[in-house]
Amino acid sequence: MADELVTLTIDGVPVSVPKGTLVIEAAKQAGVLVPHYCYHPGLPVAGVCRMCLVDIEKAPKLQIACATQVADGMVVRTQSPQAKSGRMGVLELLLINHPLDCPICDQAGECELQDFTFQEGRPATRYSPDYAKRFNPVEDFGPDVLYVPNRCILCTRCVRFMEDVAKEPVLNVSERGDRAFIGIHSDGRLDHPWAGNVVDLCPVGSLLSKDFLHKARAWELDKAASICTGCSQGCNVTLDTRENIVVRVRPRPNLEVNRYFICDHGRMNYRWMNRGDRIEAPLVRRGRELHATDWDEAFALVASRLRGAGGTAVALVSPKASTEALYFARELFRGLQWSGAFQVVMGEEAPLAGVPNLALRAERAPNGRGAELLGYGRDYAAAVTAAETASVVLVLDEPDIAVRTAGALIYVGTVLPEGARDAQAVLPIANVAEEDGTFVNRDGRVQRYFQAKAAPGMARPAWWVFSELVATLNDGGAGHINTAAEAFDRLAASVEAFRGLSYPRLGFAGASV
Amino acid sequence: MSVSTHPTPQPGTEEYQPVFVGKTLEQLSEILTRYPTKQAALLPALWLVQEARGWISDRNMAEVGEVLGLTPAYVKGVVTFYTMYHQHPVGRHFVQVCTTSPCNICGAEAVVKAFLDATGAKELGATSPDGKWTVIEVECLGACGFATPVLVNDDFIESVTPDTVPDLVKRYK
Amino acid sequence: MGYPHKPHAKETVVLSKHFGEGDARTYKGWVKRGGYEMLAQALTMEPARVIDVVKESGLRGRGGAGFPTGLKWSFMPKEKKKPHYLCVNADESEPGTFKDREIMRWTPHALLEGAAIAAHAIQAEVAYIYIRGEFTEPWAVMERALAEATAAGVFGAIKLYLHRGAGAYICGEETALMNSIEGKRGNPRIKPPFPAAAGVFGLPTTINNVETLAAVPLILKKGAAWYKSLSLASPKSTGTKLFSVCGHVQQPGNYEVTMGFPLKDLLYDLCGGIRPGRTLKACIPGGSSVPILNREETESCLLDYEGVVEKGSMLGSGGVIVFDDSTDMVYQIMRLARFYAHESCAQCTQCREGTAWTTKILERILAGQGKTADLDLLLDLADNMTGKTICVLSDSCAAPVVSGIKKFKKEFEDYIAGRRKPVMVA
Repeated sequence: MADELVTLTIDGVPVSVPKGTLVIEAAKQAGVLVPHYCYHPGLPVAGVCRMCLVDIEKAPKLQIACATQVADGMVVRTQSPQAKSGRMGVLELLLINHPLDCPICDQAGECELQDFTFQEGRPATRYSPDYAKRFNPVEDFGPDVLYVPNRCILCTRCVRFMEDVAKEPVLNVSERGDRAFIGIHSDGRLDHPWAGNVVDLCPVGSLLSKDFLHKARAWELDKAASICTGCSQGCNVTLDTRENIVVRVRPRPNLEVNRYFICDHGRMNYRWMNRGDRIEAPLVRRGRELHATDWDEAFALVASRLRGAGGTAVALVSPKASTEALYFARELFRGLQWSGAFQVVMGEEAPLAGVPNLALRAERAPNGRGAELLGYGRDYAAAVTAAETASVVLVLDEPDIAVRTAGALIYVGTVLPEGARDAQAVLPIANVAEEDGTFVNRDGRVQRYFQAKAAPGMARPAWWVFSELVATLNDGGAGHINTAAEAFDRLAASVEAFRGLSYPRLGFAGASV
Repeated sequence: MSVSTHPTPQPGTEEYQPVFVGKTLEQLSEILTRYPTKQAALLPALWLVQEARGWISDRNMAEVGEVLGLTPAYVKGVVTFYTMYHQHPVGRHFVQVCTTSPCNICGAEAVVKAFLDATGAKELGATSPDGKWTVIEVECLGACGFATPVLVNDDFIESVTPDTVPDLVKRYK
Repeated sequence: MGYPHKPHAKETVVLSKHFGEGDARTYKGWVKRGGYEMLAQALTMEPARVIDVVKESGLRGRGGAGFPTGLKWSFMPKEKKKPHYLCVNADESEPGTFKDREIMRWTPHALLEGAAIAAHAIQAEVAYIYIRGEFTEPWAVMERALAEATAAGVFGAIKLYLHRGAGAYICGEETALMNSIEGKRGNPRIKPPFPAAAGVFGLPTTINNVETLAAVPLILKKGAAWYKSLSLASPKSTGTKLFSVCGHVQQPGNYEVTMGFPLKDLLYDLCGGIRPGRTLKACIPGGSSVPILNREETESCLLDYEGVVEKGSMLGSGGVIVFDDSTDMVYQIMRLARFYAHESCAQCTQCREGTAWTTKILERILAGQGKTADLDLLLDLADNMTGKTICVLSDSCAAPVVSGIKKFKKEFEDYIAGRRKPVMVA
């Protein structure tokens, strides 16, 4: 049964939305952003900040768009003199006790108080210097969260998140009137596995991440859409980089996967992306030592090893590798008796109680499902044993490998581990922040991630390394693949589960296999 | 055979004495039958704590939370909203004097001053040196026609004037 | 404490008939006075029929809003699918108002009987009587009365419980009251949903004031026509009202008069007039949240819902605060603003920050540091605080400020211009 549609006009633009839609959401369809603070699509409606006041024809008073449902024939004006005056009044009152901290406040540049004040606030204060501003010292709420009461606008997003989404009410509103502040109890630190989201939700610089404190200015950051590699949930994230270094991870909305949130484990899981001890050039064995060389020589050497090899090949792969890379790594061994395996680090699951099917998953890797779909198994121990007698062993970005083999060991990875020193060749690849690619999450959702920063030295995406090797093996017969999109197309054409999918089809939200 | 004994607590680390035991627990159990949720018994439970201990500590709040299935932070948010709950110890006799406009125009502020002098409390909200008195100003007590009304603990006294304050104070031990 | 006065000849003694009679507080004493007969009768009537009688009587909510009671009851679902609740608002905290207190401590059974009849009419099995924490004496009287009446079995299947507040004026707002009963901070809720659809515990609920419910048994006994006939001016305002008169009158107290009674007679006749040597300067007729009336308006005002609106104010709770010419209006308006700033729940920006800023500006004016622009600023703030929030606490703060500046402007200007000696505010 189709949703009953309601037609209304917002700032002169007619829109048709399902019955029950809030005016503030309907406005988005009209291309109108109604200024707001306490409203958030991922939280229950509070209606307390009063910022979203709009003029609705036939209503005697201004109404808040976040708590008003659409009605047929409703006429909404967000820019009427009364509505603008009402909102200007709210902004003025929010600013009277708000410190002029912008020069030292992390939120500057991505602050909704700045944004709306610029847009429709009062140009000068009528409060200072006649009256002292309210002052309270900064509080440490927990492992990563600082609370700056002076900047708080009491929108209560943080309280509602902990109460209704995390289902652990460890934040409260304390006191009454203009003495109110966000409080905790001495027994309850803000150490919930998903607590970091309150920092994102805070519209101003009141709740801050200690990890990000004074690290970078918002306008210095470049942003790239990515997928968290912390576990198999596949939360959509944005990687913020500054001068080629990842400085922050934030959630990216995806209603099918993580809604608007990521867990703290994923949030803090980015420093490894900036490691300096990377392999920066292909290495090949000459005699007893590994020597740096160029890709051509490296490909030639590896191809010659593979051509000469008969018998078995074993691939030990990281479940962090992209689907494209895993596909081409398998293609490499066409014609040989091949077995591939991966192992996953396990940890404690930590669900976000208020959202169905969302948790920090026990399986701490992003592409285990992708590996499975491409024929890799989970019996890692058996694969390690098989590797001992295999003629070719490929290890893909597993720095903890302890594999002994009589055959040729090819190590393809980001850092050079001890166990790779016996390899015939070591090929440097990009990590998740340095390439385009896809992961398949535990629910079978294929999701794209985008390059956020440049790979160091001569490191290249793993899918490129393997597809070039395949081309070299075929003496260039199959043609070179130039983009990750092409690589994915190849994969989709030959693996049944991925049939019909493509990068344009996956977009920013992904699709199911 | 080994016998385990309880170690002697260091001063300041005495074991917490729960409020909701025995008769108080019975009272709370009865109160719980009046509401469809446990949370609704929160205000009554907090009154029971204050009646038993004179004030509500952070630890008390945690106990109330345990008993009613609420987090300590949630309980604290409620406690700090309602001004009649004491979050720290107060004098043996707690005096609330109304000074909102109807009583204000009938001399309520003079009554406050009279109390501060007669009790030795000197400052609003402070406890007198002998620990007997705490005096505060409150908002409308709902007895405006009987200015100035004063609550001393649970005794609601009407028509207090600066002259009647000293005798009133003497009545309390 | 003895009730302060014998009824004045001009009072219409209905609700206050047994004020001062200690015996009336006991179950037996109340039964002797005809109590609980109407409850027994009501329990045999169809709930809809009870609602009709109350609708016909013209009874309106006596807590402040004046909403027709029968109409409010009729909002409850007719077909009972879920538990229904009645909440009795005994949180009386509106400055100037002290009538519910008298009803509870002198005629507790009138309230209990009225509440039980109301519960029957709205098909509620449970009624919570929310009594403010400071009302220790009414609480004790109600507790005893409730225990006796319950033991006597008069309430049938209806359960009545007392619930103690803990110091929050805002819990007198009906949705905040419900949140408080649920064990939450007393924050008002956004409406819709309305209580009759989703109230306490999310279930259909009606909230009524003490004085409203105390009238119900008498309406059933003497008939809707009788109650309707008690009307001196506007036919839309019927019955009697307990006016709590306080401030600068000779005999403050509660006076029960028929709707439409002249305010002038109430002050000069029943209350014995202004204090010796003084004249009337201002009067707030309905509790501090309504606009202030000047002398001329006061002396020509009729006390019913329509009459007070005609004078630019509201009947509200009927808490009549009288200021004589010794009053510093600026100081008292500051003190009222401070009241609202203290009681704001902190949800809405305009109320949380606006009430405090208003208070600060007034304190500064009193301290001799006011500026001419301050008056316009106060009015601008008052405009922002009116009609834009979840509840009307901020509107209530604005009312005395706006009416005060309008009608007593010179007092403000005297402070600002330095013509009046500054007052250091604590």
